[in-house]
Formats: sequence, structure tokens, C-alpha cells
Amino acid sequence: MTPGPLLLTAIVALAAAIVAGLRWPRAWLGLNLLASAAAFGAALSPLLGGPAWEWFGTVTVGGETPHLRVDAVSGIFLVLIAVVGAAGAGYSREYWSDGLHPASAPRSRGWWSGLVLCMVLVTTVSNGLHFLIAWEAFAVCGYFLITLERKRPAARAAGWLYLVASHAGTLGLFAFFSLLAARTGSWDLGPMRENADLAPLVWLVLFGFGVKAGVFGLHIWLPSAHANAPSHVSAIMSGVAIKMGIFGIVRFSGWLPTPTAAGWLVTGLGATGALLGIAFAFAQDDLKRLLAYCSVENIGIILMGVGGAMLAVSQGDAGWGRLALAGALLHVWNHGAFKTLLFLGAGSVLHGTGTRRMSRLGGLWRVMPWTAGFFLLGALAVAGLPPLNGFVSEWLVYLGFFDAVTAKGTSAWVAMPAVLMLALAGALALASFAKAGGMIFLGAPRTPAAARAHECGRWMRGPMLGLAAICLLIGLVPVLFWPMVARAVGAWHPAWNTMEAPAPIATLGSVQAALAGVIVVVAAGLWWRTRANGLRRALTWDCGYATPTARMQYSSGSFAGIGSGWFSLVLRPVRHWRRPRGVLPAGAFRLDRVPDVVLARVLTPMSDLILRCSTAVRRLQHGRLQDYILYVVAGLAVMAVLVSMGGVL
Amino acid sequence: MTPFLEGLLRLAWWLVLAPLLPGLINKVKAWVAGRRGPPVLQLYYDLARLWQKQVVMSTLASPGFLIGPAVAWVALAGAVCLVPLGPVGAMLSFHGDALLMLYLLALARFFTAWAALETGSAFEGMGAAREVSYAILAEAAMVAAMLSLSVQTGSVSLVTMLAPSAGPGAALLAAGLFTVLLAENCRVPFDDPNTHLELTMIHEVMVLDHSGPPLAVILHGAAMKLLLFSVLLTEAVLPMGELSPPAATGVLLAGVLGVTIGVGLVESLLARFAFRRVPLLLTTGVLFCLFALLVAWKGGRA
Repeated sequence: MTPGPLLLTAIVALAAAIVAGLRWPRAWLGLNLLASAAAFGAALSPLLGGPAWEWFGTVTVGGETPHLRVDAVSGIFLVLIAVVGAAGAGYSREYWSDGLHPASAPRSRGWWSGLVLCMVLVTTVSNGLHFLIAWEAFAVCGYFLITLERKRPAARAAGWLYLVASHAGTLGLFAFFSLLAARTGSWDLGPMRENADLAPLVWLVLFGFGVKAGVFGLHIWLPSAHANAPSHVSAIMSGVAIKMGIFGIVRFSGWLPTPTAAGWLVTGLGATGALLGIAFAFAQDDLKRLLAYCSVENIGIILMGVGGAMLAVSQGDAGWGRLALAGALLHVWNHGAFKTLLFLGAGSVLHGTGTRRMSRLGGLWRVMPWTAGFFLLGALAVAGLPPLNGFVSEWLVYLGFFDAVTAKGTSAWVAMPAVLMLALAGALALASFAKAGGMIFLGAPRTPAAARAHECGRWMRGPMLGLAAICLLIGLVPVLFWPMVARAVGAWHPAWNTMEAPAPIATLGSVQAALAGVIVVVAAGLWWRTRANGLRRALTWDCGYATPTARMQYSSGSFAGIGSGWFSLVLRPVRHWRRPRGVLPAGAFRLDRVPDVVLARVLTPMSDLILRCSTAVRRLQHGRLQDYILYVVAGLAVMAVLVSMGGVL
Repeated sequence: MTPFLEGLLRLAWWLVLAPLLPGLINKVKAWVAGRRGPPVLQLYYDLARLWQKQVVMSTLASPGFLIGPAVAWVALAGAVCLVPLGPVGAMLSFHGDALLMLYLLALARFFTAWAALETGSAFEGMGAAREVSYAILAEAAMVAAMLSLSVQTGSVSLVTMLAPSAGPGAALLAAGLFTVLLAENCRVPFDDPNTHLELTMIHEVMVLDHSGPPLAVILHGAAMKLLLFSVLLTEAVLPMGELSPPAATGVLLAGVLGVTIGVGLVESLLARFAFRRVPLLLTTGVLFCLFALLVAWKGGRA
């Protein structure tokens, strides 16, 4: 089946779901699932080797002929939208049900479908003007989803910051698309590598889409928006919405001629972003903020791959660029799967306990075994550990950069530091998720809220199960997914249009599958042996201390203390404490917080300066008529002088 | 011989030989201190005894407390399969296996830390925090070492990377890898495997609550990791690929023995460092590996 009818089905179903969501939640869910299946089918055709699909409308919209295009690059992102869109919609049926949130649930459904619809359009529309319209509508839908709980000031502030940042990016895109239209004479989009005049426009692409992607430095909106939105919204924002920024960068770096410097910049930004993003994540106590910063890291890894590919193209199509780009595109899927899984898990924790602060949780595995298991799987995947999917894509990116180093070209000078930063980021990701999983699910409950937790229901478990299965499947049989990624790489750069795998991905897949099998066997063997020898439960030994309390456990702050101390120059933690005093000390405390350094140290001072300047200028506006007349006279005098001078000059 | 049988024999070599190393280190320490010391095979006796014992598990622990050691052991066993054994090569070798080996070590670390956090003990939390934090620097050093070997040989496969000697940067690489070996295997001056003062330990404090077969699996895994690092260090520095097979085997065995004795001597002659100095020493290790990388880069150019 050609993608056309399927895409039309998806678009119509989503549009209908916007209306249905206000009244009929079941119909809404059905329409969303239908739309996801249709979009999935539409994307599959070019990914499985079908030709790229294009369609031109007959009527004009806004003076332009509609032009849709589904090729392998947009296919990758459409699949992601379809899968996460379906998972989140199912999850919200229980998590954001009419019973729990009577006021906002209908709204949430409408905006959700709107968001998914806009993202489908963003990935398929191939006309600059229509792209901008879809992009703007997408940003607005995101805003209303983030601020669903509009009574909470934190949610309103997060939404506001998101809207401002998002529009700063859109401003860049306005400039980009209008300059593109002016230079090519048409709003229509498509490959235009031959037109060398367009090369400088890549900088606008990087800025405009970089804000949405959450490139480190432009990520200021991301932590608070993802932390304060309802969890299924955080999941789609983090799993898919920020990938639209990546989509833009991938799409236009493939279509436009790119200056060599852009490749260097993207690789460098990606590598530093990966390292700093995860360093911030490690220091967080709020689970959802940790996950949000971890998204900054993963966007960094994806950008490293894309930047590597851009560099390789500008240096004579080196084969290692193919590996790096394939890793980046596979990581788009992988991050979409495991980050959505983790955010849904975080939602389940929040649903069961009412808090996102890890230092108030603990011991949840007993009441939430499903959530704990899914979270552990997601944590392993996000830390890039074998035998799961995160390792496969990180391995491809690593291998691309190692090959760049062994090729000994000039790009080795960026590849070597990039690999080292990726290694540091990998170890920090492991530390962050050992901390998150350990603090939330293991040990003893630290507060009564954690002790009274409850497991989520099957509508919340089902989507998590599906996403966990995807993580496992891509990890164990990566060779199934390689051809699709290879086609997308071919669509990005026609010279790389070959199916042959440049790396032994089949071998890696069988090693991972064997590893998983042996793990199951050995774990079962050890379990059996332990049972056979006898198993006794006793109090944690704790060096013989007889009455441990839950507050004596290591907390998330103490766990991260050593590692985040090394990065304190960048992290700038804010500390408040009162030392214990006297014989019977009371009221001693210590609070550590790591606010976003770019927001707190760069942007806030800058906007304060602008505000101060504007306040100073505002003194001229006071409503006294005499002074206004004076301004007019002064203005006229200056103009008269200028005109007479102009005659002289 | 069928490849399957060969693989099995190879794995048996790793599994059976590994517990010898801690025994040798203890003998060296005893010899320096003028004691008789425990028998060289002590760890084998310990493992056999632990395998028979009952398990006491914390009331707070989930099944992950038992699964953790199992996964960590499998990850380490998988990592040793990728390391070549001198003339007989590796059990499995492909483009990029060096990275898989590093990440298998990371997998083992994750599950050791996870099992430690299961108990909710402050001490074990402390050990897990130290383990994952110091590993950040150790990982950087390892990747820098791998990069320098890759630059020198133009390959990302361990068999090719480890065949020639590390060339002009060999001494730097040896110093860097030896530092990482001490840190990753929890030896003095980073950690003291014999101490009973929990506040000062890393690895030992993470496994305080383990007992019986799971503890046996953890101890065996730790021994395997030590053997892996010794083999890696020997092969990275010495030109294994240029010797005849019997000579290479001899050199490999001598190298591993040398590393073991070196660890024993360091442990006898040096005190454990204060914790605030540990990152400094590890950073020195990272710098050694980085300089080895630069030397390899320059050497390749000339």
C-alpha cells in the first residue's frame, strides 16, 4: 500500500480525535491507536525499500500548493511518533483519567491529539510556509499540554519558559525559511545541495531547531518543562517532541550544502552537551529533572553522530560517517523507546507516592514490582549497557569515531576528544541511573508516602511493557532494524545508499542475544543453588547496628556527592545548611540544589539587564504633555539639522 | 577440535586460573612481611566452602540481590571471552569488540552497585557511590588507552590491537593501565581488600551483606576481573604478535605473574591513600593514558 491513503487516514483520525477527546475518551483512544497504526504503516513503506512518496495538492493553502513527502528520513521519525503516541495515549487513559482530573482530562486529550497531528505534519510537509504553520501549532499544543495543571505556579512558569524559548527558536526558523524562499524563489522544499549560496543558512537551522532539540546551552526550557508536565506529556515531549528538532537538523543538513565548520560545531556541541547534560542529571534529586537532563545528554549523542556524518561528507564521504549517522538515527528510536519508558515509570512512581523527589522515596520494589522491573530495564538501556538497545546505537557512534581516529585525517582532532567525552558521559549515565533506580526502588521507604505507595493499573503497565519489549528487541536482534536505518542514511546522503553493513552488527546482535540467554541461565542456577542451600531473612547487617532507621540510608544527594563535586565548577550547586549545635542538637539541616546554570548564570542576568535598561528608558514615558511637545520639537530640530547636513554632505 | 569444545576449554582456563591471582598476591605480601601467609589456593577453598553455605539475605532485599551477582559474573565472563590469550587469540573477535568489553565491565559494575543498594545500608550505599564515581575516571583512562592502541594499530579489534607492543608510549601506557588496574580491582592505594574498617572500603563494603553462593560468585568474578586486567596490561605493553607461540605463552604467563607480584609489592610497601587523594591519583592514570595516546599519534605520523 502506498503511504498516501495511510497518511490520510492518520491525519483524519487525529483530527477527529481532537473533537472526540472532549467527550468520548474510548473513541478518542481508538482513533489515536488507529492513527498510530496508519502512520506506522505509512512510514514503513519507504523504510522497507519502497520509493519515496510525494504528493502535490490541487488547491492552494495560504497561496501555496500543499506538498507532502514521506521518505526514509521522515519515516524514521514517523515511526517514533506513532509508537510513542500510541503508548502515551493508552497510558493517559488511567494516568490522566476523567476520574482523577475531571477539569483537565478532556483538554489533555484534545491537545494530545493536536500535538501528534502537528508532529506528523512537521515530518511530512515539504513546503516552507506550511512547515512553519505546522511547527507553530506544534509548539502551541506543547504549551497547553505542559500547563495542564494550570493552578500550579511551577507548571505555569515552566510553560511560559517553554513558550518563550520555543518562539526564540521559531524566530530563527522564520528567518531561515524566508531567506531560503528568497534565494531559491520558491517555498517548496527538497534536496538543493548544488546551490552553494545556501550554505550559510545552516547556522539558522542549527539555532532554530537546536532550541527545540534541547542542545546544551539552548536547553534552558527543557528541565522545568519536562519535570512539571504530566508524565505522559513529559514522555512524548522528551521521547518525540525534542526529536523534531533533530529531524529538522538531519533533514536540512542532508538537503542543504553544509560548510565544514558546521560539522565541527555540531560534533563539538554534541560531545560537550552529552557530558554536561549527564553531569547535571547526576546531581538532581527530582526524578523527572534527572530524566530531562539525561535527554540533553542523549540529544548530545545523536548530534555527535550527525555532526560526524557532516564532517565525513565534507571530507570526501569517509565511510565512518555512515556509521556515525546510522548510530545517531538508531539512537533516535532507542532514546524514544527507553526515555518514554522511564518517564512513564516516573509517572507511575508519582501516581503511587505523590512525590518526584528521590530522597523521599525508597523500597518501592515491594509494592511496585512491575514499575521497578520496567524502570530497571529502561535504566540499563539508557546507560548504554549490553545486551539492550542503547548499547547498539552508542556502539555504532563510538565505532564511527574510532574509525575516524584510525583514519588519521584532520577530523581525528575532534573525534578523539569526542570519544573521551562520550566515555565520561557513559560512566556518568551509569552512575545516575544506579542512583535513580537504587534510591527509588531499593532499600527501605524513606517517608510514609513511599511506604503507602501502590502499583499502577494495567492501562499504565501495558504501554510500559510494550516499550520494554522494543528496548529488548532492538538490543537482541539489531540486524532486523539495520536495513531501515541504512535506507534513512541513504536518503540523507545518496552516495551512502548501500545496504551492506559496515560493522558486524549481526555478530553484535548474536553476542547480545547469547549474553541475555546466559544471564537467564546463570541467574536461575544461582537462585536454585541458594534455595537448595537454604535462605534465611535477617536484618541488614550494617556492621552490627541493631536498630537502623530509613533515614540512615544513603540519600540521592550523598550518592552523587563525590561525582558532582568534581563538576562543581560547572554545576554551581546552591547549598543551605545549619550545623548541629549544643548537647541536644535540633533543627540541623542541609539542602543542596543544582539549578540550571545557563538559565541562572547567563540568561537571567542578561534579561535582568535588559529589564533594567527598559526601566531606565521608561522614565521618558510619564504622560506630561509639555515634555512630549518638547520631544517632538527636539526631534524635528534634529531632523532639520540632518536634512541640511545631508545637503552639505 | 570443534570450535565449541575449544571455546569451552578456553573459558575453563579463565575460570579455573583466575582465583590463583589473589592467592599469589597474598603470598607476596606475606613474604615481604616475613610471614608464612595463607596457602596460594586459599580462594579456591573459600569458594568451595561458600558454595555449600546457607544464604542470609536482608529483609529489605528484592530478588535483585541474588540476580545482581549472577549478571555481574556473566558480564565479566563475557568480557574475558573477548580478550585474546596470546598465541591462541580470542574466543570471539570482531570490529569493535574492544568497546563491548568495556561496556561489559560497566554492566558488571552496575549490577554490583545495584545489589549493594538493595540492602538499604548506609555503608553499602557509600561503597556503591564510591565505585560508580571513581569508575568515571577509570573509564576515561581505559578509553584513552584503547584509543592509543587503536591509533597505533589502525584497528578496533582487541586481537589486532594487542598484538604488537605499545611502541614508544609503552611505558606511559603501562603506568596508566596499572593505575586503572589497581583502582578497578580495589587494591591498595585505592582500597584495601583486607581492611575491616568499612568507612575506608569501596568494593568490600558493597558486598558486606552477601553470603553463601552469591558471595562466591562475586569473589570469583572479582578474581576474573583481576586476571583480565593483568592479561590486558601484559599484552598491551609486550609485542605478543611478534613472538613464536611457545615464547608468547611464556611471556604472557610471566607478564601476568609480574603484574601480580607488582600488585603484591605495592600493597606491601604503600599505605592506602586518603580518599581525597584518590581522584588525584586516578587523574594521573588518565593523564598517563592520554600522553600514551599523543605519543602513539606522533609515532604514527613520523
